[in-house]
Amino acid sequence: MATVERGPAIYAGSRIPQPVPTILKADPALEDVLTVNFGPNHPSTHGVLRLIVDLQGEHVVGLSAVIGYLHTGFEKTMEQKTWWKGVTYPARIDYVSFQYNELVYVLAVEKLLQLEVPRKATWTRMALGELARIHSHLVYLGTAALELGAISMFWYCFRERDLVLDLFELVAGTRMHTRYFQVGGLAEDIPVGFYDETRAFCRRMPEALDEYEGILDSNAIWLERTKGVGLLSAADAIALGQTGPNLRASGVDWDLRRREPYLAYDEVEFDVPVRHGGDVFDRYKVRVDEMRESTKIVSQCIDRLEEMQGEPWTSDDRKVVLPPREELHTSMESLIHHFKIVTEGFRVPAGEVYVGVESARGESGCYLVSDGGPRPWRAKFRAPSFAALHATATCSADVAVADLIAVVGSLDAVMGDVDR
Amino acid sequence: MALDETVDQSRVSKRPLAKAGLQSERLLWPTKKGVFEEEVESMEDALGLTTLEKAVAWAQTKSMWPATFGLACCAIEMMSIVSSRYDIARFGMERFSSSPRQADLMIVSGRVAHKMAAPLRQVYDQMLEPKWVIAMGACASSGGMFNNYTILQGVDKIVPVDIHVPGCPPRPEALMEGIVRLHEKVLAGVPPAYEIRGVAS
Amino acid sequence: MAYESVPGLVETREAFGETTLVIDPARLAEACLHLRDAEGFNLLIDITATDYLGWADVDVAGYYATAAGRDLNEPAAQGYARVPEPKPKRFSLSYHLLRVDEDSARVRVQVWLDDGEAAETVVPVWPTADWHEREAWDMMGIPFAGHPNLTRILMEDDWEGHPLRKDYPVGGEPVRFSEAE
Repeated sequence: MATVERGPAIYAGSRIPQPVPTILKADPALEDVLTVNFGPNHPSTHGVLRLIVDLQGEHVVGLSAVIGYLHTGFEKTMEQKTWWKGVTYPARIDYVSFQYNELVYVLAVEKLLQLEVPRKATWTRMALGELARIHSHLVYLGTAALELGAISMFWYCFRERDLVLDLFELVAGTRMHTRYFQVGGLAEDIPVGFYDETRAFCRRMPEALDEYEGILDSNAIWLERTKGVGLLSAADAIALGQTGPNLRASGVDWDLRRREPYLAYDEVEFDVPVRHGGDVFDRYKVRVDEMRESTKIVSQCIDRLEEMQGEPWTSDDRKVVLPPREELHTSMESLIHHFKIVTEGFRVPAGEVYVGVESARGESGCYLVSDGGPRPWRAKFRAPSFAALHATATCSADVAVADLIAVVGSLDAVMGDVDR
Repeated sequence: MALDETVDQSRVSKRPLAKAGLQSERLLWPTKKGVFEEEVESMEDALGLTTLEKAVAWAQTKSMWPATFGLACCAIEMMSIVSSRYDIARFGMERFSSSPRQADLMIVSGRVAHKMAAPLRQVYDQMLEPKWVIAMGACASSGGMFNNYTILQGVDKIVPVDIHVPGCPPRPEALMEGIVRLHEKVLAGVPPAYEIRGVAS
Repeated sequence: MAYESVPGLVETREAFGETTLVIDPARLAEACLHLRDAEGFNLLIDITATDYLGWADVDVAGYYATAAGRDLNEPAAQGYARVPEPKPKRFSLSYHLLRVDEDSARVRVQVWLDDGEAAETVVPVWPTADWHEREAWDMMGIPFAGHPNLTRILMEDDWEGHPLRKDYPVGGEPVRFSEAE
């Protein structure tokens, strides 16, 4: 574990710009400074991020990021919807690793309700979450490599990504934004073909990862463009609120799945990749290694899940979870419960709770305040990409403009997550 | 047809979909035109295109370059339409043009916030005629599931839209259907949306 | 409790396995510095602003109805089983802190503010607070004294109003065939 000293000198030697940590201010004494706008619509495919960059020749001397071009008002909208209906919204926040947002919202509501979830649901959530992590890292790798000119990587990664989306479609009916996790468990049982398909995918994935590493790891251009670029030290990373692969690539061994296990992560075996360079290359390597570990976790989950066939997939607390449809024909109470849950919504006891999970980008969190009613009073989503963009200015000191793209790509920010 | 070697050949069916039970107008009655094709044909006759116009329309559809306008989740599905499984290069559209000056088609994929509306209109204005707009997804078509202070309720409030593709997000095949219908419209001689209608109120 | 020495501590609450320290707003920066340096909470996870306007005037306690009576035809108008406890002031700012270390810990620091009352900035303590505080200002209108760059971040620069406040309308358009039209 990298040591981070406790004490007032915690940020000595920090490269974080002063006075505003997120804005690199060009020295006014410099001459020939050109201000360029990387507008919200630009070819590098992160979405609608705007960077106002001061360039002296090819070197970045000033940088500030403007966000908000995808602000959707999730939090305000979710205050109008019931707890049940609201579960469709979080998936669209971080739209690349969408299962994690659903998961964190559902875990937070279940924490407020103190609801027990059957183990089949727990293990399925874990499996699908790790598949979402693989999906997210594949999209990251494809687009990050695309932006640096390694266009073939885009095709390779998206080929495997389609396999992941096929699995989601098999289990939940739709490729993206599955809405498969609900308060109390899962929306439906796992179909029979899922186990074999996922095993085939888990056999395929390590071969695919070897292919990717074969393409990139010894490629001189890739190494030249990513090694030593966009440095972020461990202390700076912690000061800037980084979590997830950005933090682990800077040498800090912090993974919520290990440190504060949720779901059933303390019952599966996996390693947490940590690198100490803090540059773009290490962030790339951490994500590739994480994909390997995720594949291991998925195959372990599938083995456990196959033993659980026939078990309930959702809690049977009728006050919260819809009763099965067959019961509606025979039981009056089930009909009443169904009616109340669909029209009014179940009530969650008053309180405030924060739940964080280790999403593909870092710690994704949900802070919920309930007033005892059928709708959230406040739903706040802690966006790991929001924190990741704080580090843009720090990582971009002394880079050339071409490296800026590599740096922003390696921080892996999804604008839906940033702007919410 | 060469399939990706990741697909297990024993699981690939050799039966046509019709034999597997798919009931579809196009399959059951191959010689009968669907409603859409009939409408397009009657418009074609009504508009009376010359051979030259037909040739130009053919050329426009065979290489209609989209502008990179991926905003949110639909952009991820748009990226998968570029990838090798749902190959958009077979339509000549794999060259997503970052410069709007060289783009013909703007696929608005994702929710449009008010802050983004001005850049969107600016990019649209920078595109040269003829230009088409596909509103991909529920958010671009009508605001989707977001009816609030910040999301534009439909991108057709600021740009004239030719094709709306429903879905949240639409499958790549659905977007492909939208693109193919746009091509059919252009081949039929239907003018781009800015000539026949303005923006919504 | 381990947090007795935090300056400005007003109250400690434990619920759902989480510790919340309510701090006097006048000593917020001091308390945060103490928590970072002496207690080791080196990572600021999140700053959340919550508006409690309209919280306590929900209904009459002990009866499933609102004060005006009971309307069986309106869903969700049945009232609450228990009135939620009233909150001290209108706004709460919750700082979620994390200690990244072998013995990790989490804590929530909460301050209560009135409308217009400024909170001290914690950007010198955790630089990541920069954008979080800007978001709290933009969305809720909570000013932060000493913030180096307190401008709007998610809304346009010339937007009026603070959207996440409870008295700010949701906006949007009336949907056809719904009762809102």
